[in-house]
Amino acid sequence: MSGVVQGEELVRVGSGDPDYHAAVDFLHQEAELLDARRWRDWLALLAEDVTYEMPVRVTRARTLEDSTLADMDHFREDRFALQKRVERLETEYAWTEDPPSRTRHFVTNVQVFRAASGDLVVKSYLLLFRSRGDTRPPEWVCGERTDRLRRTPEGLRLVHRRLVVDESVLRTQNLAIFL
Amino acid sequence: MPDDRWLGQLVGDVRKGWIPAAIYSDPGVFEAEEERVFGRAWVFLAHESEIPEPGDYVVRRIVRDSFIVARDEYGEVRVLANVCRHRGMQVCRAERGNASHFRCPYHGWTYRNTGDLVGVPFHEDAYGGDREFPKSEFGLLSAPRVASYNGLVFASLDPGAPPLEEYLGGFRFYLDFYTRQSPAGLEVHGPQRWRIRANWKIGAENFCGDTYHTPYTHQSIAEIGLFGEHKPHKRKEGVLYFADRGGGTTYKLPPGGFADRLRSVGYPDGMIERMAQTWSREQRALVGEAGFMVSAATLFPNLSFVHNWPRVREGGPPVPFVSIRLWQPVGPDETEVYSWFAVDRLAPEEFKQDSYRSYLLSFGTSGMFEQDDVENWTSITAVAAGRWARGLRLHSRMGLSREGRLLREPLADWPGPGQAFQGFGEYNQRALLELWCRYLEGAREAVEV
Repeated sequence: MSGVVQGEELVRVGSGDPDYHAAVDFLHQEAELLDARRWRDWLALLAEDVTYEMPVRVTRARTLEDSTLADMDHFREDRFALQKRVERLETEYAWTEDPPSRTRHFVTNVQVFRAASGDLVVKSYLLLFRSRGDTRPPEWVCGERTDRLRRTPEGLRLVHRRLVVDESVLRTQNLAIFL
Repeated sequence: MPDDRWLGQLVGDVRKGWIPAAIYSDPGVFEAEEERVFGRAWVFLAHESEIPEPGDYVVRRIVRDSFIVARDEYGEVRVLANVCRHRGMQVCRAERGNASHFRCPYHGWTYRNTGDLVGVPFHEDAYGGDREFPKSEFGLLSAPRVASYNGLVFASLDPGAPPLEEYLGGFRFYLDFYTRQSPAGLEVHGPQRWRIRANWKIGAENFCGDTYHTPYTHQSIAEIGLFGEHKPHKRKEGVLYFADRGGGTTYKLPPGGFADRLRSVGYPDGMIERMAQTWSREQRALVGEAGFMVSAATLFPNLSFVHNWPRVREGGPPVPFVSIRLWQPVGPDETEVYSWFAVDRLAPEEFKQDSYRSYLLSFGTSGMFEQDDVENWTSITAVAAGRWARGLRLHSRMGLSREGRLLREPLADWPGPGQAFQGFGEYNQRALLELWCRYLEGAREAVEV
């Protein structure tokens, strides 16, 4: 991915670089917060101007190019939307997460790139395991994230996430979770 | 297929508003539905705006039968069975794209997007050429009946189905609020697709008339202030209407004229002017005089609509959105949901963007309304499969006395077709399932409810 991506020059950061470890630590910490349902702490890791998107994936002939819809997403969120979702989960009436899902966010295949602005662009694979109740089989969501992390005095903050999911038809009951 | 005696008993109970739980879980009932409901009714496949250019196609199903909905090179919309005429292979295995031809990967038979068979390898050597095997007789088959209304493309597997407009009947009046807000009509985006472990009928019933669940199921939405007012409790002021093949719910709007009331749900003036020019006098009266706005609705058997108006920024005004959704049956206990965002083509770009955000927050895979709805429906479906519970008769008699009399009279001065009641009641769910009963019994002309 090093080189020019969408008009922006990105330089690969090797796995020996402190920036690489900072990015991995960020993703691991974030995963733990989400799995522990500590959403307020999770929100604190997001920049004020965060954008969070998960386009719909489609099955096309011959190629994986163009296999996301440009005009339909599972998520296309700003801070207001994410905040409202968190507030809802905190009410006593978010039935679909009561009892709560037990989740594991597995984050692997991390690649880190540095933008001219100093931001880190981080690609990773995500495998989400979701178990709920005692009768249903667990559900999985798998995809690739491309994140942009901004350096701030408080540490790295997520400015943008794009999650490209691998299923065109989701097999999870809903996305009352964050990916 | 279950025996007709048992089906007769189920139908008899359903008609009394006592719903045998087995209708939400039984494989035999599902088999009967596949043949008698989905084999006969008009079923929604796609909106024309999904395939704007010649060659554009989407692949859709009626239960297990796959169809290519394509715009051919002459601009005509075709609904072609996705089945090679030779050995039955699917000729298209993508879900959307643009193609002038569909080629079967098995032996290479090639069809134009009009359905015409144009290529048969070794046509002369293998088949004796056009004399013995005229290619013109082996094009892709069209769905037995195809028709569209306001750009909504429907097909019926029943060659004897009534004309679509007759099938829709009085429900067309209400369909226009969602699909014809200007002469240009809708553009639809999506769909999102996901599978839920719920019987397809539960969503269809919910959307056509369940205002009673809103204050409780969706209490979280009220609590986080996604609406300007505590809207759930307003549901009992709404009117429930049902006309021929479909019905829906409404909200009572604040006082004012046609334009004031549409402004109150967040429509900009340009859109309101186009609605005023496009809708009939009676349609305008439903909003401007009676003071109601359509919300959720279902067209039998499995197409639903939703119109609602949450806010998309802190303290911001309401922003209305329209969503179209299909409850695509997979099995008795599983449904694939197709959920589209729909917006008037002539709406201002900024409105389209906000309306899209309003949709994503509320409905679809991540929608905060939809999440809790589906939680209920999967639970009902799981319970209904129990050896003991499947024999239970669930209560769908709200609005009826013990003896079965209406507790409230239908509105005498409702400006739209069909029957309308104000307040809570399961009139529409009963009307929808009455259609289901008639189809299971084999009636094709089940228009009058």
